[in-house]
Amino acid sequence: MPNLFTLVLQIAVILALCRAVGTLFRKMRQPRVVGEMFAGIILGPSVLGWIAPQASAFLFPQSSLGFLSALSQVGVVIFMFLVGLGINPKELKHQGHAAVLTSHVSITAPFVLAAVLSIYLYPKLSDDSVAFVSFALFMGAAMSITAFPVLARILTERDLLGSRLGTVAIACAAVDDVTGWCILAYIVLLIRASRIATPMWLTVGGLIAFALLMIYGVRRLLRRFEAAYRERAALSENMMALMLLLVLVSALCTEWLGLHLLFGAFLMGAIMPKEAKFVRYVLDRFETITVTLLLPLFFAFTGLRTNIALVEGREMWLYSGLIILVATVGKLGGSMVASWLTGMPLREAAGLGTLMNTRGLMELVILNIGLDVKVISPALFSMMVIMALVTTFMTTPVLELICPERILRRPVAAVTSQDVGEDLSLNSGQGSTAQA
Amino acid sequence: MRNFVIAYAVLVALPVAGLLGVLRHGRALTAPISVDGVWRLQADAAQLAKLPCGKSLASAENPAFTISQSGTNFALEFARGLKSVTSGTISGTALQATLSPSGVGSGDAQCSADRRFFLAATVDPDAKPRSLVGTLALSDCPSCMPVELRATREPQPKAKRGH
Repeated sequence: MPNLFTLVLQIAVILALCRAVGTLFRKMRQPRVVGEMFAGIILGPSVLGWIAPQASAFLFPQSSLGFLSALSQVGVVIFMFLVGLGINPKELKHQGHAAVLTSHVSITAPFVLAAVLSIYLYPKLSDDSVAFVSFALFMGAAMSITAFPVLARILTERDLLGSRLGTVAIACAAVDDVTGWCILAYIVLLIRASRIATPMWLTVGGLIAFALLMIYGVRRLLRRFEAAYRERAALSENMMALMLLLVLVSALCTEWLGLHLLFGAFLMGAIMPKEAKFVRYVLDRFETITVTLLLPLFFAFTGLRTNIALVEGREMWLYSGLIILVATVGKLGGSMVASWLTGMPLREAAGLGTLMNTRGLMELVILNIGLDVKVISPALFSMMVIMALVTTFMTTPVLELICPERILRRPVAAVTSQDVGEDLSLNSGQGSTAQA
Repeated sequence: MRNFVIAYAVLVALPVAGLLGVLRHGRALTAPISVDGVWRLQADAAQLAKLPCGKSLASAENPAFTISQSGTNFALEFARGLKSVTSGTISGTALQATLSPSGVGSGDAQCSADRRFFLAATVDPDAKPRSLVGTLALSDCPSCMPVELRATREPQPKAKRGH
């Protein structure tokens, strides 16, 4: 049984600190989520455990972390549902060639560079229980992800969703997220296949059957949610409970099939009806509790697993620097070069690259999966968390530095096919989902 | 369209081909031996008890220690008594770590927080489950005899569906 006093005290402290640091970061023109990520690190062994180990041991005794972890995972399951809900596959289909090229390069460039870096890091930061292929693929997936929700939040806060830059960035980030999660699913399968008794073909076959059932069967039934919403401009409590239940069942299915809870939740969100008002309504209902209560617990839990003291010595900091450099060159540089080659002006292309380099919460989710399946070590986890913090933190100031307002606010209508080679009528950005 | 295909081939297909080459090349790499996990300790309890700070280790019913590994570095912590001061190191199959007492003051007058133990061990990579043999010695006590120890890593249970 959990010690209820400890658990409630933990939640209270986490909420208070996350709100305080988040507000402070808002004043620094950073998204609140960046502050909350920092708050999580402050609560962990890197700051609180280092400055006041006794207070840390009192507040976060080892025996209590299981409950905190479980609560935070529930939050991430709902969050992944919201991320999937915000992505509209139909709009992705209508991307111009320029955006397709940009989004694919923004995945392959950091992915390949991360794999090359893995040749250097694998003998130093991994061990022989992890195959090089798994290690390199995971590093690639972790470095090529873009935080779709954080990016959408930055664009919303700066009123850039209707701009050319905003529409291309949102579309590319959505493609990156879907691709990144597919790659990650493959890696998790690869790793778990070696550890579970079930044959690989059965797991893969089960997952394909499940995905097909969801896309061609369950998806049709989900239209009833939208129909009910259209009738009364609201959903009853029973309908909301049923939706939540379906998310949990889908999550359980992917977990049971040997993948991970989060993939099922994401898939359920992705196949939900995409009518803009309906999506906004569902997001509003779920966001409050998820973003204000459950996600801070996830940040705290991630912070408790992050020990910057493990990054000790010049050599380890050199590895960290290399990781940040490769992640930035691959993502920012790759997106920038591809969009510039397809006709986007250089400054605007640099702005797009900067936006795509935002990793935020999605990176933390992926890293926690990597640590759970032991494909990355605790020290490498800490280095990658530092990379996520740095790349997310740098987005706003770098964007302000390289892209003046007049460039950022250039509307989509101003784009000609000559400018970018193709039509860029993309995502309207309805998926500006969670504040995270 | 032609330009798009060329650009796509150069910027996407070519790097993906390069990725396959990197993955193939990487298969030849070797990583440090895995020591991460919980290890069951087999040591002479009487010998252990003679060491300052050794009583708590010797009195444990199932003495065990946990290694948290990050590549060639690791942190080691005994369930009762000792934990590594700085990262231990792995070189080939050899482990080395400096340990200090944790939770000092369990009735052992000779045990203080500034005591330093030195653990040196060799891992048998072929043993299943993985095992190690080594010694635990007090750095600042020339008269104290090093204690020989053996340890076996607890097998990580095969996960069922949904782990």
